[in-house]
Amino acid sequence: MRWTRRRLATVTTLVVMVAWVVFYAVALANADQQPGPVTAVVQLVVPPLLWVALLRISSAAELAARLVLRHWRSRAGSRWSAVDPPGRLLAAAAAALPERRREWGMAMLAELAEIQGRSARWRFALSSVRATLSLPPAGGWPVLALAAGVVVASVAAIGSAVGAAVPGLTVFAVTFTGFVGAIVVAAVARPRRLRLPVPAPTVLVAGGVAASIAVTVIFLRRDPAAAEFLPPPAAVYLAAVLAGCLWVTVASPRWLGANRLGPHLGAAAAVVFAAWFLLTFGTDGAEPPYPLVLLLGLVLAFAPFAIFFVPAFAAGRAGRSLRSGLQAAAWTVAAVMPLTYALWLPVALRRHAIDGKTLDGELVAPAGVNLADALVFCLGIFPVFGITLGVVGAALGARRAVPNDPS
Amino acid sequence: MFRSRRPSAQTTAVVLALAEDLTAWRYGYQLCRQLDIKPGSLYPILMRLTDRGLLEATWDTDVPAGRPPRHLYRLTGSGRALATELATTTTTRAAATRRSGLTEGWQGA
Repeated sequence: MRWTRRRLATVTTLVVMVAWVVFYAVALANADQQPGPVTAVVQLVVPPLLWVALLRISSAAELAARLVLRHWRSRAGSRWSAVDPPGRLLAAAAAALPERRREWGMAMLAELAEIQGRSARWRFALSSVRATLSLPPAGGWPVLALAAGVVVASVAAIGSAVGAAVPGLTVFAVTFTGFVGAIVVAAVARPRRLRLPVPAPTVLVAGGVAASIAVTVIFLRRDPAAAEFLPPPAAVYLAAVLAGCLWVTVASPRWLGANRLGPHLGAAAAVVFAAWFLLTFGTDGAEPPYPLVLLLGLVLAFAPFAIFFVPAFAAGRAGRSLRSGLQAAAWTVAAVMPLTYALWLPVALRRHAIDGKTLDGELVAPAGVNLADALVFCLGIFPVFGITLGVVGAALGARRAVPNDPS
Repeated sequence: MFRSRRPSAQTTAVVLALAEDLTAWRYGYQLCRQLDIKPGSLYPILMRLTDRGLLEATWDTDVPAGRPPRHLYRLTGSGRALATELATTTTTRAAATRRSGLTEGWQGA
């Protein structure tokens, strides 16, 4: 019998399921307090489902990597094949130039095309790249220095103000202000025409970020002890993710905001995901009826797949390119993270006030645990899920869009 | 906007090189080789001169297939006036330097 990868996965899954059922039966038989029938069913079904999901994620990630690599080789690879390393280096530097200097980059690339000899080409490219990196800011160095000074002063002021009002949020406040300030300084240094081609998705994400900050402040003011669940590394991560979401919406690179379809699809998917989240977790702690548990079980398995996969696939197909699909995936993730985080904390607090349990309803723990859970799920697991499925969707959409794609 | 500050030696060299033939369009790498200036120095100079209206720039239209068009530069009316001014200043300073050298040489003798 040949042990193909699929057969091995199937057998392993069967073994895991049988082992879990036996283990759970033994655990139930020896338990002091028997769970309710619905809880028992959920506890029996969810771990095997998670195992299957884990297998699917790993194979989806592998598929995503393969599809992107194949797409890059077939499209970009053919475009780059005629360009040598100095050309690629200079092209990358030219692509990073602000719009008003785009012609300048094209001029340098055109000059490089005429230069013969490897060493002469490297000298020209390196010298030109140095020039692009030392490009003076549009308003001059004094304006940039002033902007940097304002940012540093803001960081210091906000750090001391937040430190006095909500001590547990000092690291977050300082880091978030620093990240946003860095975006502002970069915008001053390399100004581009301010465009908001997708106001609704932009407002949605920016509102999600603002709501995330607000609910974190409220959470920590109600329960200052919860600060122990937001250690400095977690606070920095929270700040980086929220600032990153803002960056995607208001100051993203050209390739991420070039069309309108991707951001709108991503924002719509995020709203659906938020609705799914409220439907799943926004109950009052009472166990829903049995048919609804089964329905939610199916939704639990398929909703994230559809929400992250479909926008990227549709945008990739409509835009006939991988880039269009990736735009939708990036916007989906950028909208889902702050929205779900902003919902998680208030819903978790309400749930905790009812029975003292965490949001998943299985653990009696301090309310602060919900803060750590929100970080792990909303800003850790969801984006990994989302990016993986989004890349697969984008690659498949772009692949289907090419009639004679040999792959 | 004009700055009254005196241009750098490299900027002066670029302006004077372009003034050698006022009607000819020159491209960047050509000026790099003629003046022995690195492109990382030359392109910011060309960019500043263009921003200040001293140079006009255009894309080369006579390009062989498969090659991107090059950016070409020549002096505008303001650029020509600057070139004349710089040439005069340079000549005067060179003469002053020569005279100074002669005087020093006579005094030293």
